[in-house]
Amino acid sequence: MHQLVKSFAFIIFIFNPLLTSSHDGEKHSMKGHSKADMMEQCVEPTIVMQKEHFKFLYHQRDKTVIKGVRTKKHSLANCIDCHVSYDNKGEAIPVNSDGQFCQTCHVETAVNIDCFSCHASVPRGKQVILKSNDNIKSISNIHAKTSYLIKNLEDMHYEK
Amino acid sequence: MKNNSLLTRRDFLVKSFTAFSAIYIIPDIIPHASASKPLDKEVDSSTRWAMNVDIDKCVEGCSACVDACVDENGLYGFDRPETDSQWIRKLTLKDIKTEKISTLPMMCQHCENPPCCDVCPTGASFRREDGIVMVNQHTCIGCRYCMMACPFKARSFVHENLTEQVTNAPRGKGCVESCNFCANRIDHGADTTACEEACMNEGHQAITFGDLSNPNSRVNKAIDNKPGRRLRADLALKQRVTYSGF
Amino acid sequence: MDKIIFKKFIIKPKLFWLKFLFLGFFIFLGFLSSLYMEHEGHYITGMNNQIVWGMPHMFAVFLIIIASGVLNIASISSVFDKKLYKPLAPLSALLAIAFLIAGLIILVLDLGRPNRLIVAMTVYNFKSIFAWNIFLYSGFAVILAVYMWTMLDREVNKYSKYMGTFAFAWRIILTTGTGSIFGFLVAREAYATAILAPLFIIMSLLYGTAVYYLIIRIINRYLNFNISEEIISNLRNLTLYFLFANLYFLALYHVTNLYIAKHINFELFILTSGGIYTFIFWAGQVLIGLILPLVLIMSNKFKDTVALKYASILVLLGGFSAMHVIIIGGQAFPLNIFPDHIILDSAFYDNVVHSYTPSIYEFILGIGGIALALIIVLIGIANFKFLPTITPPSNINTQKD
Repeated sequence: MHQLVKSFAFIIFIFNPLLTSSHDGEKHSMKGHSKADMMEQCVEPTIVMQKEHFKFLYHQRDKTVIKGVRTKKHSLANCIDCHVSYDNKGEAIPVNSDGQFCQTCHVETAVNIDCFSCHASVPRGKQVILKSNDNIKSISNIHAKTSYLIKNLEDMHYEK
Repeated sequence: MKNNSLLTRRDFLVKSFTAFSAIYIIPDIIPHASASKPLDKEVDSSTRWAMNVDIDKCVEGCSACVDACVDENGLYGFDRPETDSQWIRKLTLKDIKTEKISTLPMMCQHCENPPCCDVCPTGASFRREDGIVMVNQHTCIGCRYCMMACPFKARSFVHENLTEQVTNAPRGKGCVESCNFCANRIDHGADTTACEEACMNEGHQAITFGDLSNPNSRVNKAIDNKPGRRLRADLALKQRVTYSGF
Repeated sequence: MDKIIFKKFIIKPKLFWLKFLFLGFFIFLGFLSSLYMEHEGHYITGMNNQIVWGMPHMFAVFLIIIASGVLNIASISSVFDKKLYKPLAPLSALLAIAFLIAGLIILVLDLGRPNRLIVAMTVYNFKSIFAWNIFLYSGFAVILAVYMWTMLDREVNKYSKYMGTFAFAWRIILTTGTGSIFGFLVAREAYATAILAPLFIIMSLLYGTAVYYLIIRIINRYLNFNISEEIISNLRNLTLYFLFANLYFLALYHVTNLYIAKHINFELFILTSGGIYTFIFWAGQVLIGLILPLVLIMSNKFKDTVALKYASILVLLGGFSAMHVIIIGGQAFPLNIFPDHIILDSAFYDNVVHSYTPSIYEFILGIGGIALALIIVLIGIANFKFLPTITPPSNINTQKD
């Protein structure tokens, strides 16, 4: 029994650096560029995010699905929006593909991510594109906004 | 520091204009913002979403609502009609007595007494406070009992691996899914569903959606004009989707 | 009671391992096909959005019904205090536990998300009969385990009567629950009736007795434990009663449906115009499953053993047909969403009778389940003393212990 405890302790000691390894100072994603690359920290301090991100996600997911709360801070869509990398052609690389933000740590810690069998691993869909256009502080923003307005005016027209 | 906390006259004007426009102008521009819910507010029963379909206005051969739903929720199938998901479908009917032919869209009827929620062993099938019946796909185990229980065949089971899901409609293999009144849109402040919008854009205006608690909502106006009827009223399920013109 | 000596199922090791591997092979295949189903998704099966429950559910419900039914022998011995059956009671409980586990495993492996079993075990919606059944099934397994213990351990033997009664009550509720899975489905003409619960109970009694008899026959081939003539003739009588009761409830179910105007279209579909479903109903469920066994059992031409053996086999074939008619036939008939309208056109098969062609994977999963039940029995009887060395004649046992 004593031997067993010892060997467990040994194994944990050996693998400890792996289990607690962090990417401080490194760029978040290996390939491509993401919004997160340019940020100081995530929605919570980095150490908190590393240890607790799934708790935030679990908490948020129930609030979102059952109560209809759609705050962005802890929403998975927002995580992906910020952490997804874009390659040179501007194509989004799925966050769960090899070497990308989610997958890198999850491979290392051998924790399976179950999110992306259902959730989109890149920002995708009509509304998302509309929203992100809305956020970008650039000239294209103006164009997006105008088209948005035109569309809304059309909507109002149909309502009458 | 103190000085900074005081508003200058210019700042005051700018800020008050911003506030003014935020309150009075922007809501007029953003569609249906009057019903919009702050993102952090939990839904409650003061809002009661409902839909009415005016069969006389629904056009045979038109599938704008179906296409819009597919587009909105990324319901791209695999060309296997028996197993591909359908959240909304078009039906053509003939009245047995009058022989009148009519066409209508069929989707989750958002019952107030939903059989799907009664039978769901894990409670994954649930009714939100605002009346939207939906599946919590985090707790759905894929037993399909709800599909057995639904009188309207409104639900689909995801029969295979999906890859092109859209951000606003997560869905995946092994879970049951159905129309959720575009809950994501609504929570983000819209008060129209993709199908209603498409039907309006087509100029048919057969589908009207809105809040039953708001006397001025489109759905209330539509029902006031032409009362809606519930399907299978004998089951007393109190659906939130009604059909007028039957 | 004290005179009964139990023993293990001891046969030549080679023979044992041959059986073990034979069953293990099917379990392995069943497991593989379930893995494939989960990996690819259910589109590779015959099930679809029209027929949502298919062959795995036929097997699972069948096995769960049998699980409740094979407890008959133990119930008779404890609840109705028939000493004659006492030596056979522990095996009866073992069979019940084995078939229950097998049925549940099939059910679980067919889930869209079997990896979320933990959710099903921890989050309950108490309005759902399914959730209740999770309790009923797991509770049944526990009760059976305790019941077996009280039967086999002399120190606690005095409690076995109470446990037996408890298990009897539980199994009746359990089969009621299983029947109610269908009985509570208000939307479908085939199901929305409480009579399904007693029908399922009576089916469980019939199928359970048949399975029990066939299994002791098989065991007896390798290890003679002298099933007395009396037991066999009693089982023959029991089967006769159960067959009549089954016919009665089946007729009642269908006549009720004929009488309810809302259900008449479905009823005519099953009875006359349903093609394969009508055929399976008349040829499988009624003729093979009830009429032929009745003829066999009632006829004087056959010995008890022969009549009972073939009747049991026919009853089980008929039972499986009954599962097909109830589960698949009930879904095949399109939902009546618009009672006043004819559906001319639909993109979602609203106006057609659905067809179901099971895939090989579903079938193998079901067969694997049966093999699992049998292997549990095999392991059980080989390692624990379940089998009586000799069944004493009843006249000794009717005296006070």
